[in-house]
Amino acid sequence: MILETKNLTKTFGLRKAVNALNLEIPNGSVYGFLGPNGSGKSTTIRMMTALISPDQGEVLINGQSVQKLGNKALLSVGALIERADFHKHLSGETNLKMLARMDGTDESRVQVVLNRTGLGERGKDKVKTYSQGMKQRLGIAQAILSNPKLLILDEPTNGLDPQGMKEVRDLVRELAAEGITIFISSHLLDEVQKICSHVAMISQGELKTAGPIEVLLKNSDLLVTEIHVDPIAPAIKLLSTQSWIHRCEEKNGLLNVGVSLDKISDLIQLLVQNNFQVSAVIPRTSLEDVFLSKVGEESQI
Amino acid sequence: MLGLIQNELLIIIGRWRSYIGFIGISILMPLILWGFSVGGEELHQDYAKELGGTFMVVGSIINSFLATYVIMNTLWIHIPFLVTLAAGDSVAADGANGIFRITLTRSVSRFKILVSKLLASYIYTATLLIFCAFWSLGIGSFVLGTGDLIVINNGILILDESQAWVRMAFSFSLAIFVMCMVATLCFMFSTMVSNAVGPIIGTMFLIIIGYMIIGIPLEIFEKIEPYVFVKYFNVWWDAFKDPIPWGEIGKKLGILGIYLVVCFGIATYVFLKKDIKS
Ligand SMILES: Nc1ncnc2c1ncn2[C@@H]1O[C@H](COP(=O)(O)OP(=O)(O)OP(=O)(O)O)[C@@H](O)[C@H]1O
Ligand SMILES: [Mg+2]
Repeated sequence: MILETKNLTKTFGLRKAVNALNLEIPNGSVYGFLGPNGSGKSTTIRMMTALISPDQGEVLINGQSVQKLGNKALLSVGALIERADFHKHLSGETNLKMLARMDGTDESRVQVVLNRTGLGERGKDKVKTYSQGMKQRLGIAQAILSNPKLLILDEPTNGLDPQGMKEVRDLVRELAAEGITIFISSHLLDEVQKICSHVAMISQGELKTAGPIEVLLKNSDLLVTEIHVDPIAPAIKLLSTQSWIHRCEEKNGLLNVGVSLDKISDLIQLLVQNNFQVSAVIPRTSLEDVFLSKVGEESQI
Repeated sequence: MLGLIQNELLIIIGRWRSYIGFIGISILMPLILWGFSVGGEELHQDYAKELGGTFMVVGSIINSFLATYVIMNTLWIHIPFLVTLAAGDSVAADGANGIFRITLTRSVSRFKILVSKLLASYIYTATLLIFCAFWSLGIGSFVLGTGDLIVINNGILILDESQAWVRMAFSFSLAIFVMCMVATLCFMFSTMVSNAVGPIIGTMFLIIIGYMIIGIPLEIFEKIEPYVFVKYFNVWWDAFKDPIPWGEIGKKLGILGIYLVVCFGIATYVFLKKDIKS
């Protein structure tokens, strides 16, 4: 495990922001960290990166305790926590040079990471002239500046437009392909599903489920199926009366039904018995369904 | 470590606020020097009258040394203020601007970052005072000329020019130490809050209260006087005594040094424990 949390707990006043959290992030994974607003994602990540100290428990990076060793444990870690903030009156390049000096990294890396994040042309401009998306890319540039083996990103696509989000996603994929382990928090389920190999879900500071995405999807007791059925409206009417059907709606001319795995055959039987034409049943479990079943409908994200 | 200090100096240089002190001094000093060169005759008469009984005064006693001596006497509330402008921002601004989320998640220790910030504000402090000296002694020597320094302070001390240079250098060194202590105090406050205004006000408040306590002749105040650090600010003055009271200077520096170390200790404790939540 490249990154682990053990019984990690942090209380703000009376509120437990993170409660006895145990996570195991395997080397080489792209690990999504999902949770609704205020569920404790940032607090966890801040404890991982030595910004705040836990009340209990510890974070291990390559087996070394961040709490015992302090920042020394972060030698092979790059991080971007929430918004990327820099010295605005200095250029992006100068900001990165200063950070390279801190890390003891060769200054030639600065231009490399600027190019890599698409800022090669704008490196000499002051950060205050950057758009939100450019600042965020500079944030990623500083995170990969010193060739980290582990990248910890807290909602790196926050505040970006769809194009910007895609750029960040592509960059994350590339970095992952180079063998960098990536721990990335998000509240965007489909974003996580698109890029992650593993996922952990938390709610109110507590871990709800964790593991490789395929395993979670396979084991999910709530399955969404797309059904080609004709006619569609009466079918919805019929299914809505059944208590074992969690969700039933039309989407792109298909019937989308949420049922548990063992009820699929009952579902088909019911439709056929009522003289509906069923031409195809496609299981389409999404992370969203897993999330809703684990975290519950009340905590929409 | 040198790289870290270099970073902090870059930040100070990039801040508009850092120049207020230099601009202020550049406005104030020509004015004072001009005042000396125009109104110097009057001062010369006063001095000559006082000295007349004992000495025969040949030439002018108004020169850059005397001007510097007088200036140093009057700037003891302004210079601390100018020093706090840089020191107050030192830690607080990085917290407020979110910079710590980027710098404190790296492998360099918080202690090193703190020390580099403190040393950078010392360098700023020293530069500010040297800039003062550049005006009053450097430019002043052109405007007012040099010569013997005649100081009237519980008796008369006359220093020839070469001695005067040495004493001036010594006095400015002592002044730099005093101001570094002020910078450390402000720095300590800076680790506790997330804006620069609090530390500046806090430090100036303590200094002004300190001057009040040593200025008001009440018995209760006299009892706490030895613990008021402001009381020892005048150590620079001792450089112009003859013979130089080394023991006295050592004691004052020692006490200021204790304050400095305690402030730094508290700053370290606070900063290392600090949760970065912003
Ligand atoms: N500095 C703080 N003081 C008090 N409470 C805090 C502080 N920071 C976070 N909290 C509380 O801790 C809990 C977890 O917050 P956290 O920021 O970790 O959530 P998050 O999962 O990152 O949310 P988001 O998706 O909105 O970023 C919340 O209930 C929040 O109100
Ligand atoms: Mg957050």
